[in-house]
Amino acid sequence: MAWDWTWRPYVGVWILVLLMAAGYTQLVRYGGGWRNAGWRWGSFLTGLGVLWVGLDWPIGALAAGYLASVHMVQFLLVGLIAPVLLLLGIPEPTYERFRGHSTLRRVLTRVTHPLVTIVAFNIILVFTHWPTIVDTLMASQAGSFAIDMLWLFGGTLFWWPLVSPVPTRPGFTYPLKLVYLIANTILSTAPFLYLTFSQLPVYATYELAPPVGWITKQQDQQLAGILMKLGGGLVLWTAITVLFFQWYRAEGQP
Amino acid sequence: MRESTQDKTGDELRGTRLASPIPRPDFSLIDTGGSEFNFHARTDGYATLLFFGYTNCPDVCPVHMANIAAALGRVGWRTRQRVKVVFVTTDPDRDTPERIREWLDRFDSSFIGLHGTTAEVAAVQAELKLPRSVMPHDTTGDYDVGHAAQVLAFSPSGPAIVAYPFGTRQADWVHDLPLLVQ
Repeated sequence: MAWDWTWRPYVGVWILVLLMAAGYTQLVRYGGGWRNAGWRWGSFLTGLGVLWVGLDWPIGALAAGYLASVHMVQFLLVGLIAPVLLLLGIPEPTYERFRGHSTLRRVLTRVTHPLVTIVAFNIILVFTHWPTIVDTLMASQAGSFAIDMLWLFGGTLFWWPLVSPVPTRPGFTYPLKLVYLIANTILSTAPFLYLTFSQLPVYATYELAPPVGWITKQQDQQLAGILMKLGGGLVLWTAITVLFFQWYRAEGQP
Repeated sequence: MRESTQDKTGDELRGTRLASPIPRPDFSLIDTGGSEFNFHARTDGYATLLFFGYTNCPDVCPVHMANIAAALGRVGWRTRQRVKVVFVTTDPDRDTPERIREWLDRFDSSFIGLHGTTAEVAAVQAELKLPRSVMPHDTTGDYDVGHAAQVLAFSPSGPAIVAYPFGTRQADWVHDLPLLVQ
């Protein structure tokens, strides 16, 4: 079907956003109420807004079946930007209550270890950008949704050791956090190179999609690769900068 | 891709084998310059890709044209020089020769565009054993035209033995074009 700019409702996205908002309300209550949330509820709301924009029309529609470059924008929003904002939005008292649950703490200790999370994130990145996987899953709404949720999950894992105070990781010092982030800027180079410098379109989904404007399939794919590198780099280097100054301030205190 | 067929060198073509070869048809229509274009005479000696579509087509036609154009940009000069792409409109009311030229130039200025009456085009399609294009009852405003979605490939001096359905990718064209010109 040819692309047109007629708005279409994405009710499934609205339901997801409402469910997440409801879940957040419970998390806030679990942490002792809204007065403990402070500025964090603003971060969660922003993260939810980013997620909504990334999944709803028009980005969701264009990403699902028309443009690889918009698919990449969606990945940046859903897989990198929304997760860190959502995690930052959880009140500290809520995190501290997580610490009180021994089973949850044990699971988090294993699952959110920095080595586990960086590997998992990059496995998810490669898997959800593998041409056969993309062409298979993007052929259905359920498959497309599965990719979106994998991104959200992978991004949440990736940011967890940097953002969440639970579990405590005294060995994960500022220098190591910076190495963690810098390493990820390097690891994402492979998909960028593949997309940007492939001689031919790699995704049948987008190669055979009705044209949108006059961008060629090759240009669209190259743009996707560049967006992945530059957009992802912008997010990661922003985080690196923030952490660096946090470290600087921490070192300056007696 | 579907079952493949071998070219003269024995390499596998990725197009779909036709049940029986289709001789190169001898028909004349008007090209985008307003001149008569005899398909048989003007394409004999070239690997010729023949496609029936229309410029307001939302998907099949622009994707086919774009993929062929991109593939021609990737194959060697020798191959490119020996390929002709002929587009015949199935929507003669909206697709004037000027409109066809403008549309084809967005893909490749070497693509040949042909215009004829509905009856003339239907006769050619029948000779090629292609389904006749289907116009809607109401042709005021925007409308879609039902048409065959495959590209017929004629060898330089012979019949068409292979067709390329919608879904043929640039990689398939890049693979097959050098084989088709042999």
